[in-house]
Amino acid sequence: MKATFKKISFHLFLILFLVSAYPVFSQKLSSVTGDETNLYAQTKQVNQFFRRFNNEEDRFGDRYYPGDSLYRDNAFRSVYLNMLFDMQSSQINSDLKKEFIAQVSDNNNPLFLDFHSNYWFAELSAIFSYHGVNKNLLLFLKLEQENLGYKWVLTNIYFSEFLKNFFKGDEDKVEKSFLHPMSHELDFMNIHKAFDNPKYIEYYAHKDYHPDYLTLLFYEIKKGEMKFVNSGSLKFHFFQVDGWYFEVSFVNRSGKNSGWLITKLYKISDTEKEELIKFYLP
Amino acid sequence: MFRTTIFFIALFFVSIANQAISQDISPERKQAIDSLALEKVRDLSKYISLIGDKKTEFSEANRVIDRAVELFMDDSEVGVSSIYKPEVNYYPVREYLERLMRLNYDKVDIEWYKIQYVSDLEKQPDGTYVGVITVFQKFSGYDKEGNLVYQDVTKKDITVYVKRKETQIGGRLIGFWDVMLGDIRVKETAKP
Repeated sequence: MKATFKKISFHLFLILFLVSAYPVFSQKLSSVTGDETNLYAQTKQVNQFFRRFNNEEDRFGDRYYPGDSLYRDNAFRSVYLNMLFDMQSSQINSDLKKEFIAQVSDNNNPLFLDFHSNYWFAELSAIFSYHGVNKNLLLFLKLEQENLGYKWVLTNIYFSEFLKNFFKGDEDKVEKSFLHPMSHELDFMNIHKAFDNPKYIEYYAHKDYHPDYLTLLFYEIKKGEMKFVNSGSLKFHFFQVDGWYFEVSFVNRSGKNSGWLITKLYKISDTEKEELIKFYLP
Repeated sequence: MFRTTIFFIALFFVSIANQAISQDISPERKQAIDSLALEKVRDLSKYISLIGDKKTEFSEANRVIDRAVELFMDDSEVGVSSIYKPEVNYYPVREYLERLMRLNYDKVDIEWYKIQYVSDLEKQPDGTYVGVITVFQKFSGYDKEGNLVYQDVTKKDITVYVKRKETQIGGRLIGFWDVMLGDIRVKETAKP
């Protein structure tokens, strides 16, 4: 008990010390271009987001390693995790945020982010030329282990031009879009019905059929109908904390609350999680 | 100064000569590699400042571009975006530096913030380690009358490749960590 109190007192002292020392430190580090406090405060890399989330580095970006007294320290996390949220986001409920921070920094069952584990996805906006016209689409990627290391791989895309061609049939026609169960006796002579109207082809597929949009993208590129033009903004979707989903994006603004921050936070059930993940990893 | 640097680099190579390639990098080794990588980034920063400086003669600037390009892996690119145009434009490293040399200002100031952030090193499938170093640069362009006509602050995320290599010196195999720069992402950032 005494030891715990001593530890808490020490942490409180350290936090107060760091908070009060911060401006002094930044003044000392000021370069020819001016005060750098905001740049220190900015979460400059996704790598730094992970380290800060887990308390694996100090306030100045120097790494903590297992065995260091503050490595993954939950008292620090309960204070500093707040700074990893976009303070100006209207999509983050403050009560939910408090609950989330309390849960992940709970000393009895702390939760940490793992760069190598599944359940986090990148979403990159991109422009492709499609039949000669520039169109926006979204690329989804995940980390995958291969041989001696890891690589990012494409998992899915979101492209309205593809989507609008699937499962958009009129209900009355959809209900009639099938091959009757005795078709085999007629050598499937009625098969042409499946291909007569392109709008309804997919309704002749099995019930678990889902269009593979990634394959469509590859195919269109291989045929020369689509060409990469450039990439744009990037965000990440995290499902690593049980019961929660959060989004991380780069907030490009002045001030200390900038860089890679949590811009959305939602509580989700296991079923919702499964459904959402299916979107990124069909 | 030069001799001291060479001595420490040599000492560094010898001290790591016996480390197996497949082993993960220890914290101490990581720090040593970070220093090597940061040295290359500092060289690049110095070269960029020289290339952008209007006082640098054309022939000298071209020589500096050659030196700068040597820091990079082949086919490295620079991806540039601005605050209002997040789409990335790609330039081969040499072209990016040549464009910097040809910028149409009478005077250019390129300053570097002291802050730098070094990521962890991650192994890619072929076993090469890859990391990213982030630095910040302030660019100011002036006209003939000395008026500031353009200014931006850019965040430069520089890829660093670290590979274990071996060379034979006097019949002995000496291992060393080779550090090369890769793609650079240049993102205009809100003034800090």
